[in-house]
Amino acid sequence: MIPWMMLVGIRSRRDRIFRLWIPLFLLWLLLLPLVLVLLPLAFLALAVMRVNPFRAFLTGWQILAGVRGTHIEVQDENAFVLVHIF
Amino acid sequence: MNEDRRQILEMLSTGKITTDEAERLLAALDKGPAASTAGEASATGTKAQPKYLRVVVQDEQGKNGRGHTQVNVRVPMQLLRAGVRLASLIPAPALVHANEAMHEQGIQLDLSQLKPENLEDLVNQLSDLTVDVDDDHTKVRVFCE
Repeated sequence: MIPWMMLVGIRSRRDRIFRLWIPLFLLWLLLLPLVLVLLPLAFLALAVMRVNPFRAFLTGWQILAGVRGTHIEVQDENAFVLVHIF
Repeated sequence: MNEDRRQILEMLSTGKITTDEAERLLAALDKGPAASTAGEASATGTKAQPKYLRVVVQDEQGKNGRGHTQVNVRVPMQLLRAGVRLASLIPAPALVHANEAMHEQGIQLDLSQLKPENLEDLVNQLSDLTVDVDDDHTKVRVFCE
């Protein structure tokens, strides 16, 4: 399953953390028409490069799905950045 | 009656071993196959596959000599698997250039020999990976969980 939500947390001051929830499923919905339009072109380009388009799309999908669960957290004395993909 | 059991009884009959010793040997024979079967099962048994590759960096002393820095990165193994599969999609002409570039850098690796099944094994081997770097003020840990 592809990621559906992303949490971005930023703290610039010691006492306050700004959290932003990004609904990725809306992004996918918005990108879907664009993907459908570009799909034949991508298919053609991959065929020209002699790359199996089905394997390429499968790998791309697996990468997208694999991003789920990624957690990046960097904390400093002055700042804090958090990215978590659900 | 198998050969081992016969030998033990012969040793007992010729007086080379006592009845206690014979009993112990026979008991060991009975336990042997079961124990070895269990050992094989535990050796070949599938251990829990790790789900994430974790990188933790702890710097007790910040850049300006005070405070501390912490980095905590968790990468799903699924992403690594999918990432390495990309290598099998590299077109043949590009592989030649990539191989040449790596040979120039002293890396003796032939990318054309990388097959999806090998890549899967490569990622699976990461489950046993643990890297610990301890400095006076900095600790770096890379492990799978």
